[in-house]
Amino acid sequence: MQRSNPLSQLAKAGFSDLSTASARIDELEIISSVSRDELISCLARAADPDRALGHLLDIARDNSGVLTAANFRSRESLRNTLAKVLGASNGLAEFLKREPECVETLSSQEVRPLRDSDAYSTLLLASVGANPVDYQPVATAEGEDAWVLMRRQYRRLLLEICRYDLLAESATEVFPEVARALSDLAGATLEAGLAIGRRTVTLDSGVGKKFTAEQVSLTKLAVIAMGKCGARELNYVSDVDVIFVAETADENMLSPDDAIACASRIATEMMRAIHDPASEPALWQVDPNLRPEGKQGPLVRTLASHLAYYDRWAKSWEFQALLKARAIAGDRELGESYVSSTRPLVWTSASRTNFVDSARSMRERVMQNIPTDEVEFQIKLGPGGLRDVEFTVQLLQLVHGQQTEAIRSAATLTAIDELSAGGFIARADAAELSEAYRRLRVIEHRLQLRDLRRTALVPNNPEDLRWLSRASAIGTNAEEFIHIWEDTKERVRQLHLKIFYAPLLLAAAAIGESGTTLTGEQASDRLRAIGFKDATGALSHIAALSKGMSRRATIQRNLLPIILAWLSEGADPDYGLLSFRRVSDSLADTPWYLRLLRDGSGAALRLTQLLSGSKFVGELLESIPEAVSWLEGDEDLTILSEQELTDELVALAKRHAPIRTAMPHLLQVRRREVLRLAMGSLTDVLTIAQVSVGLSNLYRALLGVVLETVRGELDDEDYPGARGATEFAIVELGRFGGGELSLSSDLDLMYVYRDTGAGQENASKFSEKIASELSSLFADPKLPLEIDLGLRPEGRSGPRVRSLDSYRAYYERWSLTWEAQALLRARCAIGDAKLCAEFTELADEIRYPAQLTDDQIREIRRLKARVEAERLPQGADPTRHLKLGKGSISDVEWLVQLLQLKHAAEHPSLRVQSSMQALESAAALDLIDRGDELMLREAWMLASSIRTAYLLWANRSSDILPTDRNDLEGLARILGYGAGMTSQLEQDYLATTRKARTIFERDFFGFKPEEPARYSIENL
Amino acid sequence: MNKQRDFVLRTIEERGVKFVRLWFTDVVGTLKSVALAPAEVEGAFTEGIGFDGSAIEGFTRTSESDLLAFPDPSTFQILPWRGNIDPTARMFCDITTPNGEPAVSDPRNVLKRSLAKAADMGFTFYTHPEIEFYLLKSADTENGGPVPVDRAGYFDNVAGGTAHDFRRQSVRTLEDLGISVEFSHHEAGHGQNEIDLRYADALTTADNIMTFRTVVKEVAISQGVHATFMPKPFSDQPGSGMHTHLSLFEGDTNAFYDPAARHQLSKTGRAFVAGLLKHAPEITAVTNQYVNSYKRLWGGGEAPSFVCWGHNNRSALVRVPMFKPNKGQSARVEFRGMDSAANPYLAFSVLLAAGLKGIENDYELPAEAEDNVWELTDHERRALGYDPLPTSLDHALAVMQRSELVAETLGEEVFAYSIRNKSDEVRRYRQQVTPFELNSLLSVL
Repeated sequence: MQRSNPLSQLAKAGFSDLSTASARIDELEIISSVSRDELISCLARAADPDRALGHLLDIARDNSGVLTAANFRSRESLRNTLAKVLGASNGLAEFLKREPECVETLSSQEVRPLRDSDAYSTLLLASVGANPVDYQPVATAEGEDAWVLMRRQYRRLLLEICRYDLLAESATEVFPEVARALSDLAGATLEAGLAIGRRTVTLDSGVGKKFTAEQVSLTKLAVIAMGKCGARELNYVSDVDVIFVAETADENMLSPDDAIACASRIATEMMRAIHDPASEPALWQVDPNLRPEGKQGPLVRTLASHLAYYDRWAKSWEFQALLKARAIAGDRELGESYVSSTRPLVWTSASRTNFVDSARSMRERVMQNIPTDEVEFQIKLGPGGLRDVEFTVQLLQLVHGQQTEAIRSAATLTAIDELSAGGFIARADAAELSEAYRRLRVIEHRLQLRDLRRTALVPNNPEDLRWLSRASAIGTNAEEFIHIWEDTKERVRQLHLKIFYAPLLLAAAAIGESGTTLTGEQASDRLRAIGFKDATGALSHIAALSKGMSRRATIQRNLLPIILAWLSEGADPDYGLLSFRRVSDSLADTPWYLRLLRDGSGAALRLTQLLSGSKFVGELLESIPEAVSWLEGDEDLTILSEQELTDELVALAKRHAPIRTAMPHLLQVRRREVLRLAMGSLTDVLTIAQVSVGLSNLYRALLGVVLETVRGELDDEDYPGARGATEFAIVELGRFGGGELSLSSDLDLMYVYRDTGAGQENASKFSEKIASELSSLFADPKLPLEIDLGLRPEGRSGPRVRSLDSYRAYYERWSLTWEAQALLRARCAIGDAKLCAEFTELADEIRYPAQLTDDQIREIRRLKARVEAERLPQGADPTRHLKLGKGSISDVEWLVQLLQLKHAAEHPSLRVQSSMQALESAAALDLIDRGDELMLREAWMLASSIRTAYLLWANRSSDILPTDRNDLEGLARILGYGAGMTSQLEQDYLATTRKARTIFERDFFGFKPEEPARYSIENL
Repeated sequence: MNKQRDFVLRTIEERGVKFVRLWFTDVVGTLKSVALAPAEVEGAFTEGIGFDGSAIEGFTRTSESDLLAFPDPSTFQILPWRGNIDPTARMFCDITTPNGEPAVSDPRNVLKRSLAKAADMGFTFYTHPEIEFYLLKSADTENGGPVPVDRAGYFDNVAGGTAHDFRRQSVRTLEDLGISVEFSHHEAGHGQNEIDLRYADALTTADNIMTFRTVVKEVAISQGVHATFMPKPFSDQPGSGMHTHLSLFEGDTNAFYDPAARHQLSKTGRAFVAGLLKHAPEITAVTNQYVNSYKRLWGGGEAPSFVCWGHNNRSALVRVPMFKPNKGQSARVEFRGMDSAANPYLAFSVLLAAGLKGIENDYELPAEAEDNVWELTDHERRALGYDPLPTSLDHALAVMQRSELVAETLGEEVFAYSIRNKSDEVRRYRQQVTPFELNSLLSVL
């Protein structure tokens, strides 16, 4: 041996604090008479040699006799075992220091196989002086003494299990045995706890009601294990979930109420024996909170009471929890009948619709509850963690378990085997999933073993990771460990997709080669479970997308599982899949599309969200499929400036002149930009205000370019001299003028001209021609564009174009009718600048009158009242009409306009075209209460958003809050509600507009609050 | 669910049930019934029974006609009055939209939502109604109006009278249906009776009241008389109220009970009563929903017309009764405003909401009314701060229309429907020219 390099030798053995270790080994050598080399060679086996050495030395110092008695010197196997245990578990090391004679437990020559559950029960019951063969064993030990005796015995046996686990060739191999033994040992402990409980409740010293030994013997109490313990897959340290069932053995001798009371006390005492503080520390928490009504419910119920609860009240997760129920301690017969009568409930719960949704949202909630800085280190709940494996398995069990009894096992690993045997998971995938699960569990076990504490957090410092790597035999150092762990997480995530969705592809293609033989029926079950309505149609799309040997087909085959998963989360998966197929077909040969699908998972996710949530986008994408490429980042989804758009449109108009032939190209730009704004708004890249700006930019550019081009192209001979001597301008009105356009708005316009020397008639004809050209050019069957001239003086019966003088004459004669009101949102910026300026000056005179008389106010109110009665379409429900309904868009706008007409002359801040900005100014000026302002704004925004959302969802416009549930679901998703929240959306809309209406009636109509408005029958 | 479903299907077979009635309640409080053949019952449990909601008062907007009724197997009962010829059973239903969300306009769902809100605050809500009604010789109103079956009074035992047999038969039928009766006796009015149901959670009580009304009407028919829950059928006899005892429990503990407090009424109880009082005017259109209700409320007798509370004060709107010592579990308060024609689901919902609001916002309970409120002068009452309840349905609707509490509790659709429907009743009532006007004006003017 290389005594010359003692420290290097220690480093090689895995020590890190070398000088301390060296000194300690010297000391230990003297106490134990075991040579230094031999000591080093055994300690080298420990996961943490430094710590193992420290613990060993502590034991030797206090109790060298123990080591001698156990033949520490002569037995190499004992030395190795001890080093391994002490290096892996501080918790057990402390136990050995408290109970040194237990070192003997580790000294046997060969590793014995693990004991069975009866053996554990016998040993645990004996430890508290109970007779294991009794039907209801009663402890002879009392009080804390009994607790300590039981806990020591538990830890002695835990030491055995730990030794078996640590000495095994492969920890992942023996994991199922270890988890089973831990569960059985826990069961035996519950049994011993009951024995203590039965004794304690007969004593005077106990807290609470005292019972006689006879009463106790007549009380039948069964303990049901749930969760991991129920599935016999328990951890070293985790809460043991239990449920208590009790009844009287003889109603004549013990009333049912007394039996429940007695059982409750026994159960309480049992839990105290296991987890209350004492000189030998608590074992683990017994958690009885999965019981009916949780913490609020009684601790113990009769079987009938349990069943009544499950019949009436239980939620679906409670049924899923029952999947793991197992009679574990106490009265077996009673326990078994609990299990057999609740088990069928698990499988009927799966027939409920939406259970996948509810399982999925539960999983998301769990994820959200993990602190963000822990997510990456959570071995249990983090992405790719244990819960993901369990989720995958349970989902498949719930989808297919109703039909197939052979896949109903509670234990995760057994269930994986069964699913594989039943052909629901490919053999190779099953093996991989099982391996990943064992690996993760072994890591979790090693983490818990160290301090015998419940934890699932992988440490993130190098020393601890080095130890974990050695302890779990995963990698040989921290880096390797992390690498393997990350890899496992990634695989688990992929396996979920592969296992759940990939077989659908195979079923679709009817190729049964890789081991799974999902029938068409089973594939349809899966598709329906995740929300596809037309499973047959979906299968045919899947088949088409994955068929063939092309590069695209290969990539799509790989990608389809995740695509299906994403689509299924949208409101209309069927449409989403159909349009995904269409997009894929039209982009089939575009290299970037395949790259984007393959690499840019963010883009692919966005694409599926758009397609399954918006027919508007789906249809436009069909004619502009290249827009898919915008989804890669956010830059391509932002708005273009008016100048950029004008430049592009001017170039196009020139290249494709005359305007008749250029127009389709210009309209294509419009469709492209509308699509961009729609996509930007659905992906939350753009706010509602930004979409408005984008639309204003687009239409100003478009109208400006078309106007100039048309004017330039009109034949001079038809209108001699008119071109040079006629000014022309387009006035934006309504939402366009207010800068509040949404995707569902029409364009409200007026045309104005001025003769500057062409002669009145000539100029008028020239302008008329421009106007008629404009109207006809904008027709677009692919994406209709409504140009509405109805707000002009005299409405539809008035002339289409007026001269500035004619407007002046008209407004001066008829000032303050609704036309003047319409002028409040007039903005004149397209066309000849000088004319625009003069028109604006004219408009200001009309729309900001110095004074508004009471007669005029009354006239406006009466007009509004008439409009309400007349404009609402026949049979429309006024509470659901988004534009003209009670408290919706028009109410808010009329009120704002009234305030503007009254006060804008005095307050310049009210002289704005935007309704919302004017409302804000009015509140700032105290013309309206701030709370009322917010309520009105909310109503206006909500009604506007719903109109836009409807267009996006259905690719149709509607002014009415739909009543169809499917439509409401689509709207609700776009508006940010969760699945199945349509009633909430309706409720929100109706409540908001009702409140807005109350404010409107008071502030606009002047109804006094003490004489509230009454719904008249005629109106409703 | 499974086991109860199986029980229902088995019982249908064993007892040879010929028809199964699915029961639900419309917004006005009328019981609706769909009869199913036994063969359709199994399907009804899993898929529901589709029906045209637009045909049911207030159930849905006219455009959404398809709703689903899911029978609740735990409410299965054979209807005893059908005898053994063509045995008939009934179940109450929950109503859902086609996509499986609970229908917002289903009164049972309104109450369930309110109870869920109470549960979030840690409370369960129990009610115990005392239901008054009249027995008439027939429903015929020709020839001078309805005729009561007897001329007896409060607690009178009428020898050989219809009322006695009637109550015995009704109580037996109710017990057969699993509804416990606490008490039954002749009331003050001629032909007027009262039957008190045992206290139970509010949803069960509301179901029971619906069943109760049916039972009483059926038994009356079998005895050749007519039973009515009309709030005020006779101008010279007392109206039919439904005084209801209310209590909240936290777990197994009565939240109204505090042995150390005045009248043993806990802080929670005081706040609850304060809530009831503060919001009483705005919920009146729900607890007293007919034009006729206001003739009871303002027709003298013992009707509580003013918003105040008292301890064993029978003139107060809310009475805090004496609790028997050591019976803390029975602590409760009695709301005396409601009448027998209310929709119990909606009425319980608004009462609960008003009380909870008091608890949430720590309302102060005003001073106790110790006088007989009816004997005070108007000015005295005003000085003491006893506000009147709304004097007419019209008035009650005007107050309710401003109430966020009622809108939130009923949900927007039921709220809007109720106002619309009841305003229409007011309008139709106003179109009447009554005998009073004819008698007092015709000859004089």
